[in-house]
Amino acid sequence: MTLMAAVDASVKVAGLQDLTIHRSVSSIPFAGRYRLIDFALSNLVNADINSVGIFASQPFASLIDHIGVGKSWDLDRRKEGLFFLPTSHQNGGIATVGSFHDFEEHIQFFEKSRQTHVVVTSSFVVGQLDYKEMLAHHLASGKDITEAVGASGSLKSYILSRRLMLELIRSYREKRILSIEDLVNLKKAPYSYGVYEYKGYFAIIDSIQQYFKESLGLLDENNRRLLFLPKEPIYTKVKDEPPTRYLDGSKVSNSMMANGSTILGNVKNSIVSRAVTVGINASLDSCIIMQKCTIEENCELSYVIADKDVYIEKGVTLTGTADRPIVLRKGERVTKEDSQ
Amino acid sequence: MNEKVVAMLLAGGQGSRLKSLTYDIAKPAIPYGGKYRIIDFPLSNCTNSGITTVGVLTQYQPHALHRYIGLGTPWDLDRHKGGVTMLPPYAEIDGIKWYAGTASAIYQNINFLTSCEPDYVLILSGDHIYKMDYEKLIEYHKEKQADVTISVLEVPWEEASRFGLVDTDDDMNVIDFSEKPEDPKSNLASMGVYVFDWKKLESYLEDDNIIEESSHDFGKDILPKMLSDQKKMVAYPFKGYWKDVGTVDSLWEANMDLLDPSAGLVLHDPAWRIYSSNPQLPPQVITDSGRVQGSMVNEGCVISGTVRHSVIFQNVLIEKGAVVEDSVVMSGTKIGSGAHLNRVIVPPDITVPENYRLHDPAKGITLLTQDLVDSWKESGQQ
Repeated sequence: MTLMAAVDASVKVAGLQDLTIHRSVSSIPFAGRYRLIDFALSNLVNADINSVGIFASQPFASLIDHIGVGKSWDLDRRKEGLFFLPTSHQNGGIATVGSFHDFEEHIQFFEKSRQTHVVVTSSFVVGQLDYKEMLAHHLASGKDITEAVGASGSLKSYILSRRLMLELIRSYREKRILSIEDLVNLKKAPYSYGVYEYKGYFAIIDSIQQYFKESLGLLDENNRRLLFLPKEPIYTKVKDEPPTRYLDGSKVSNSMMANGSTILGNVKNSIVSRAVTVGINASLDSCIIMQKCTIEENCELSYVIADKDVYIEKGVTLTGTADRPIVLRKGERVTKEDSQ
Repeated sequence: MNEKVVAMLLAGGQGSRLKSLTYDIAKPAIPYGGKYRIIDFPLSNCTNSGITTVGVLTQYQPHALHRYIGLGTPWDLDRHKGGVTMLPPYAEIDGIKWYAGTASAIYQNINFLTSCEPDYVLILSGDHIYKMDYEKLIEYHKEKQADVTISVLEVPWEEASRFGLVDTDDDMNVIDFSEKPEDPKSNLASMGVYVFDWKKLESYLEDDNIIEESSHDFGKDILPKMLSDQKKMVAYPFKGYWKDVGTVDSLWEANMDLLDPSAGLVLHDPAWRIYSSNPQLPPQVITDSGRVQGSMVNEGCVISGTVRHSVIFQNVLIEKGAVVEDSVVMSGTKIGSGAHLNRVIVPPDITVPENYRLHDPAKGITLLTQDLVDSWKESGQQ
């Protein structure tokens, strides 16, 4: 029994709007150096799945830039590998995972494959799902569709046979179902539904609050130990940034820091992405700073999410809360006057 | 560049004065700067200078280098045309021909060079740390209509006798060439970077090959011969950071230079990136008890101790209560609680036990080894 995979990178997630103006949910930066889709892709390739279709809708420039030909995931193959499958979405896409409309547009991907089973997964769940184990569970259970479930609900990953997938793609209109998730929620006859219980770390990123909470949750050593497994690496596009520099007078504690940054100020309880500059006497507390941001001297930021390329001029004070972090959009420039 | 340039990167050196660091890897493969290997610098210089055909000549302990360079992907050298070619010594009908000297290494790859059909051949050394635009060097070589151009660097007079020195006239024509002279007449040191017109180099290599008493070396044989034949030999004055990492002390210094902005080597330079093979590791974490000052830290590290003025490679664990100062800690090491290291190079994958102390400033730079750790354990941890 063998697996292929369909990654839904086009599903609508309403709660993440500020971070998805220029990108899809799948390419939202996470944990300092990753994009959300890295976790799904890494879980798949760590289970030796070599045929992966990414179903993506606009705007996907950021996703294509990140994925390329799939080299970082060893998916740049002569035989099979990565398939980038854009979808048309006349009506703006749907909010459940595994749209049959999308799959129908690329039915050849399923028809021409040689694998017996299909993983359908989303790109906004972070974890270490073991699809080999899930497939074994699926086969042993004898059910038609198996859903991965964590402590607090669905992980939006499913396994079914390729034969059943093709049958569903050809009949979804008649059956009045939209997606795999929709079908599993409705438990439509005549199919049988099983559950695979996942015990490891996971995070579902479906709102700004969740994004903030789960990002800072990685400062907990136990979460990191469960997510960053030495033998099941999370792969991402490499950037060739030098190591991060901590200058004399800087003070960093309880923080996750990516490479290429220059830290002169104070950082605590935060996640700092690649190539960020934190100026002298600037203070960050409980912030998520994405790549290439500059925070000039004497700034005081707490509970702030700064998207890529945000520039914060000197002396700016921004104070959010855990429930309502301040979100600075990609490329925004904040001056002292703006913040008063 | 319209003309074709092929770079030949000499990477076969042992670097015996680097002791245990080069027991099983060649000097160009030595880790440096928190995430690099020394050879990343000349390779990245090639990429950034638009040179896309590179031969890497290996001999001593080549496996780590071959595996590391692979198809050359990190340096964009995985190409249909050109790209990187690994050139270890090989066997012919009349036996295996080891590379006796720098010139014989190139001579034995004449077939490779001929197949590349270059106009110019750039000879590089795989064990120097510097950022250099070779395109400017080649433009200079063309402008001067030289047969060979030697890249030179001004060094302090008191250190000049450690180098191969080049004496020039006011137009930078080379008039004399001396290898580590006791009484230097010049302070222009050769960087081991040469540009040759390929056809001229080819004939000199062929002539040199049949001279039995020749050591088949560029500095000792080829260049002096070209000079005595009155070939046009010019010096190209390079300005910038350049370091030959030949000893444990100089490797330590080169790392410390990265922490000193006045030293002149900037790695945070998007216009001239140094590329390397990147392992896939999570970001570094500085925990609640971690303190990092004046240091560089790479991915995958978890720092719970104190780090001052040090370079920390990927995947290093520094436990709470450990102190690391003025040190270079290579990948995969663990520094136990209560350990105190000052002016130490910790090679890859060593576990420094709890309360291990090595911080005597009078002792100079120590290259830690597993043997040192083991004998400390056996001696009752004194």
